Amino acid sequence: MGSLTQRQLRIITQICWTIALAVVAIPFVFPFLWMISGGFKSANEIFGSPSLIPREWQWQNFLDVFTYQPFARQYFNSLYIAVTVTALTLFVSSLAGYALARLRFAGSALVGLFLVSALMVPEEVTIIPNFFLMKWAGFIDSHWPLILLPVFGPQGIMATFLMRQYFMALPKELEDAGKMDGLSRFGVWWRIALPMSRPALAAVAIITFLNSWNLFLEPLIFVSSLEKFTLPLALSNFTDPYGMPLWHLQLAATSLAVVPILIVYLIAQRQIIESFALSGVKG
Amino acid sequence: MTSLTLSGIRKRFGKTEVIRGVDLSVDDGEFVVFVGPSGCGKSTLLRMVAGLEDITAGELRIGARVMNEVQPAKRGVAMVFQSYALYPHLNVRDNMGFGLKVRGVPVDERTRRVGEAATTLKLDALLDRFPRELSGGQRQRVAIGRAIVGEPSVFLFDEPLSNLDAELRVHMRSEIAALHQRLGNTMIYVTHDQIEAMTLADKIVVLRDGLVEQVGSPRQLYERPDNLFVAQFIGSPKMNVLPLADVRLPGGAAPAAAASVGMRPEHLSVVSPGGGAVDGKVMIAEYTGAQTLLHVEAAGHTLLVLHEGEAPANGSRLGLSIERANLHFFDADGRRAG
Repeated sequence: MGSLTQRQLRIITQICWTIALAVVAIPFVFPFLWMISGGFKSANEIFGSPSLIPREWQWQNFLDVFTYQPFARQYFNSLYIAVTVTALTLFVSSLAGYALARLRFAGSALVGLFLVSALMVPEEVTIIPNFFLMKWAGFIDSHWPLILLPVFGPQGIMATFLMRQYFMALPKELEDAGKMDGLSRFGVWWRIALPMSRPALAAVAIITFLNSWNLFLEPLIFVSSLEKFTLPLALSNFTDPYGMPLWHLQLAATSLAVVPILIVYLIAQRQIIESFALSGVKG
Repeated sequence: MTSLTLSGIRKRFGKTEVIRGVDLSVDDGEFVVFVGPSGCGKSTLLRMVAGLEDITAGELRIGARVMNEVQPAKRGVAMVFQSYALYPHLNVRDNMGFGLKVRGVPVDERTRRVGEAATTLKLDALLDRFPRELSGGQRQRVAIGRAIVGEPSVFLFDEPLSNLDAELRVHMRSEIAALHQRLGNTMIYVTHDQIEAMTLADKIVVLRDGLVEQVGSPRQLYERPDNLFVAQFIGSPKMNVLPLADVRLPGGAAPAAAASVGMRPEHLSVVSPGGGAVDGKVMIAEYTGAQTLLHVEAAGHTLLVLHEGEAPANGSRLGLSIERANLHFFDADGRRAG
């Protein structure tokens, strides 16, 4: 080893690291590849052959997904609900976070404490009161609970705290400069604080979108019509008349379900990793 | 151009009173510097003039109008901040034009005013750059440009040079002085650097613990300080103060009420022991080029002496003489006596 140059040593170290990381990545990557491969296999072949390459490519699976149930509609439901929840959460959490960070008002500490304490209550505990609340409002078997509960529930509070922390770190002199330039308090928020908080907004957007996209318990409880299902619920619905899963359809549908997330991830890979680091939330 | 009047201005944060009754008038086109040690309330007073802090009591007039409750942007004032406070998401052009845009100034007018200010401040080539792409001095010029384009009656500067290195500070100081000459606006400038205060001001306001200690021209403050605090705050190195009994006064007796005597380091001359107002021993000699700063131990005190020419050796004994006209007498309460 003594005769190795600095450069050779660096290359060898790099190769060793790459191999080690590749081995560590297998448990994470293999299920994903297995899912995509399963989507292209026949029902019999999925558990019949360990190979990731299908004997015969079953493109038909991806068409059957749409005929078995209103999958396109369900896909759209998930998409528009996630986008709406994300947009509303960004609006509400940034406004509330700004107020908590910057406005001095009577009881602001109490509001903060109240919000934190709400975070400590498990979602499963509040689901029954929430059910009655939504029933009282006439929102059962509609998408309203899937939009309102994440925006004003624990996820919304988390987002509010994330925004609050970020706003607190913004230099106050910039806001003073905004006031000198003629901005109102709302103007300072909209034209100075928000544009400067893009990393925090991105973090909130990404986490909120993912949470909404993966939401299972709420759709299961509040939605009963097939055409109002969201993706997680729809995926669990690819079963035969005896309730056994139709793996080939389920895997094809799941592959389709991860496409938007995958696209977003590939586009904004760095931003997403920074978001999780910023928020202290794991993926 | 506009005058400014502060009458009985007070500011309280909770139970702490940080401004304890300030009366001050600033004339049209005057360059006024608020100076004082950290925590004396100078920045708070400036922010109250700007409208960024509420006035707890008293009256602020800009021109003839009472401004206590008027929004910052409607007071006809512009402020340059210590940290420049440039919007990081906007380029230089948009930073300078932002206030005009908010106020609904038409695009043509906005472009013209930003262009003029950029030319004045030699920022033409930097208009499309973002603040992160500028040096400290350039950022400061943009901050000044942002203030200029609003065509305010009064400019407010909150320690604008404190983030710059020494060389750039001297340069920007002269630029601000030139700007004042060119525009002729009323300017209020906050600093803790008394060289800045002395070189820029028409009038200096010395503050301590939320109160005005003295208001006057730099020369007045230097030559006739009202009290010991001002005497020692204005002037660098600071004035030496000795009990009256420890000094052999040249030219007759001291005023009746005098208890201590002040001598500026630059007014003391080195003479033979016994030949001056005090005798002492050189402890340290700091050579600074044109002059040497001597630390002389005399009568149990350390005196500072600015000496030109060959410095006496450390440990040598000497006398220090001073002309009668350069002595400052203070009574037991630290007020000027005579």
